[in-house]
Amino acid sequence: MHAQWIHYPTAGIPRLADGKPNLSAPTPRTKDGKPDFSGVWEVEHNRPCPPGGCDDMWIPQEFLDIGWSLKGGLPYQPWAAEIVKRTKEDRSKDPNSHCLPTGMVRMYTTPLFRKMVQTPGLLIILTEREVTYRQIFTDGRPLPVDPQPSWAGYSSGKWEGDTLVVETSGFRDGLWLDASGSPLTETAKITERIRRVNFGKLEVEITVDDLKAYTKPWTIKLTQMLAPDTDLLDYYCIENEKDRPHLVGK
Amino acid sequence: MFGRLILVLVLFAAVPAWAQWFKIPTPGIPRTADGRPNLTAPTPRSPDGKPILSGIWQMNGKYLQDIAADMKPGDVPYRPETEKLFNSRRNGAGGKNDPAARCIPGMPKLNALPYPFKILEAPGVVIMLFEGFTTFRQIFTDGRELPKDPNPAWFGYSVGKWEGDDFVVNTIGINESTWLDNAGRPHSDALHLIERFRRHDFGHMDIELTIDDPKAYTKPWTVKEDLRLIPDTELLEYVCNENNKDYEHLVGN
Repeated sequence: MHAQWIHYPTAGIPRLADGKPNLSAPTPRTKDGKPDFSGVWEVEHNRPCPPGGCDDMWIPQEFLDIGWSLKGGLPYQPWAAEIVKRTKEDRSKDPNSHCLPTGMVRMYTTPLFRKMVQTPGLLIILTEREVTYRQIFTDGRPLPVDPQPSWAGYSSGKWEGDTLVVETSGFRDGLWLDASGSPLTETAKITERIRRVNFGKLEVEITVDDLKAYTKPWTIKLTQMLAPDTDLLDYYCIENEKDRPHLVGK
Repeated sequence: MFGRLILVLVLFAAVPAWAQWFKIPTPGIPRTADGRPNLTAPTPRSPDGKPILSGIWQMNGKYLQDIAADMKPGDVPYRPETEKLFNSRRNGAGGKNDPAARCIPGMPKLNALPYPFKILEAPGVVIMLFEGFTTFRQIFTDGRELPKDPNPAWFGYSVGKWEGDDFVVNTIGINESTWLDNAGRPHSDALHLIERFRRHDFGHMDIELTIDDPKAYTKPWTVKEDLRLIPDTELLEYVCNENNKDYEHLVGN
């Protein structure tokens, strides 16, 4: 229990008679009538706790395997399947273990908070992990042509009814989508369909179109839960990184 | 490390045709007859009359190297032990101990990086997105008070309010291992920063920064840092951990 703003009432949250946040209240909206995604979000607790209780950081199924909900798993190309197989014995190649950026997909599955702030023309996602951010432009700009490859990619979104449809491309090679080693290549295009179902729940449908790593495009759905009455702390992987020398690998 | 960062910046400047959003017109910028941004146009204001701070800004680079660049020698009111620590860091000695060498710059250094940052005003919070280190600050404007005895944070805890045309930001709780500048000026856990953001016209802003740290300095001292608007561009990605080769060559323990 620290004296920072880890427990601080979030303004504008609908509450029940006992003062608890009413997370099934209707979706909040901005002045222009669009759903407002602003808020602090965390992963869905969809993975049973191991015997002996849950870890401090409660990881969701998608953290371990982004394709866990797909029948038959992800449609890996042979080289990608080889990475996943190798990662079962050797996790040392995971960019996360080297304090490198998670990329936009793992940003959603990391068991630390993220905060969305919706402003006219721009939706930003601030993350506890690495104290970093992602920008999603909603000002109508087209995606850049042949951009400099990046960890974050370049994201532009537009509204289709109450769903924000975000297209992202311009990735660099070497990103992972989960701890299994499911890769992403620089040819990838990712489409997110983001919807705030009610006050407390965000649904993100993610389609990954990356034929260099997968034999066909695939789609999964993630849920994000509102974390009311708190705010982000700062978490730097590099601050006291002691694991790397102990990881097994070549 | 920052010497090399500046080199990288120069390299970027020499390659004009990146195909990302490095060159993209910023909407709402007043322009001269030839289409160039008119950076001496009046300060934009919101309907309630307050100056709008939103935009992409960059600070005069000298304050990163030396936060007291505009002060006379002898005018920084060091306590003796602070001056001793500062002197022990001269000429790069101890550079390895600066958390910025491990990709965590701290405050007020973060504002002074030789890369642009973006200010965004949202309800209840002003957000600064920094190109350098791809990191951010949140300045709460929802009326909350500064926390009491907070857990130290790398950029501290910030609240802001308007006083006339000045946006005044108070920050405490900054991790005491960070340095105020690359020269190595120290601070203690009692550091209280007061930033006054003052936008003079469309393209120019000052941050008047007061360092109030009674454990490290005998009295508060104030510097004025100048910033310019960087129009028609967007922040690039900067991942410090991606290829940090300097750390092992720095001196320190």
